[in-house]
Amino acid sequence: MAELDATLAALQLGDSFFPSGANAFSWGLETLRNERLLDRAGLEAFVAGQLEHRWAHFDRPALLAAWEAGDHLESVYAIDRLVDAATLAREAREGARRLGAALLKVHEELRTPQAALYREAVAAGEAPGNLAVVQGWAGRAFGLGREAVVALSAHQLVTGLVSAALRLGVLGHVDAQRVLLGRRAQIAALAARPAPPVEEIASSAPMAEIAMMRHETGSGRLFAS
Amino acid sequence: MNDIAAGLGPAVQGNRPRTAARVGIGGPVGSGKTALLEQLIPRFLARGTDIAVITNDIATKEDAERVRRSGLIAPERVLAVETGACPHSAIREDPTLNMQSADELDRRFPGLELILIESGGDNLASSFSLDLVDYWLFVIDVAGGDDIPRKRGLGVLSCDLLVINKTDLAPYTRTDLPRMRREADEVRGGRPVLLTNCATGEGVDAVVETIAREVLFDGR
Repeated sequence: MAELDATLAALQLGDSFFPSGANAFSWGLETLRNERLLDRAGLEAFVAGQLEHRWAHFDRPALLAAWEAGDHLESVYAIDRLVDAATLAREAREGARRLGAALLKVHEELRTPQAALYREAVAAGEAPGNLAVVQGWAGRAFGLGREAVVALSAHQLVTGLVSAALRLGVLGHVDAQRVLLGRRAQIAALAARPAPPVEEIASSAPMAEIAMMRHETGSGRLFAS
Repeated sequence: MNDIAAGLGPAVQGNRPRTAARVGIGGPVGSGKTALLEQLIPRFLARGTDIAVITNDIATKEDAERVRRSGLIAPERVLAVETGACPHSAIREDPTLNMQSADELDRRFPGLELILIESGGDNLASSFSLDLVDYWLFVIDVAGGDDIPRKRGLGVLSCDLLVINKTDLAPYTRTDLPRMRREADEVRGGRPVLLTNCATGEGVDAVVETIAREVLFDGR
């Protein structure tokens, strides 16, 4: 029963019905699409690149460290500050903060233990409330195991990108599911590698970062990044 | 004024702490939501109501710019929220970013009494989450077809106040306005319906009075 409960918890958090605010973010895809630099094949490469060159060595170690820190909130805040400082593009940093804040707020309203304290720390400027960190920390507080938070984070990254691409007219709804299906093996392979310690997080996805930087001043924006 | 309501102040519904009352303005594209907003702002300011505005643009920040440039309200009191091509969802299933923006306005302007949240234009099935707003208006117009009320769209049926705009166009669009009004009253079971012409401001005072009475609990 405990396992079923944990599965249900993961499904609840991973569902696009969960109010996350993620719908409004394209993480660079809108700019690439507007500048005619993104087609169907490019999308698949973009998603694979985000997993390999950002998620595996950046989000994943951050969220695992936050999961490990558990109810030791001071350690979580330290990880949070580090991850925020290491996020280069403004839209990526602010987007991760906005979504982290949103996630914390829902958890507070769902009475997830200590979520109210974490929110106070964010309001007081002690912690930025980065999404990956909040996800790892809150995932555990909500009943998710290590593997489940890793799967949840990868799933949300990929689904968010593919869903934005669908809305940008890059691919159709069934094809979108093909991309998700196609990334599962990659996610599993990346997740099987040992995660670097959080002090060594690294990300190298210049195309996405430049696209987000250009997005800041773009006009006719549907998305917040 | 209702004494109990006066004691509680605005925005007592739900589990939100006491903040500015939040009023949604939804409706199809082109029905006159931004025009209504432009008519509402000076009237609320004239009554001394401390207000701010959030717009949810479908494609651009144009509506927010339009409101900012109108000179009606200080530009920093107008926020635009991107909806990722999901205007519908941004006010109902996942109003996260609208709530963050409203919280931000509450923080930035202590004493704020009213936040008007204009949704990106959508169809007749849009509606607002009651966690986002305390009260909401749905704006339709005579040129969109006088059969709209009888189609019983979710927005028409479930809003707190239905506004039928562009009444001046009725003769040119072969709209039977009295019938449209009657059918709107019927499908809404007598809940408020008001007629406006936002090009001139006709009928807008009644909208302001209704919002003031129902949401601000103030019959000034």
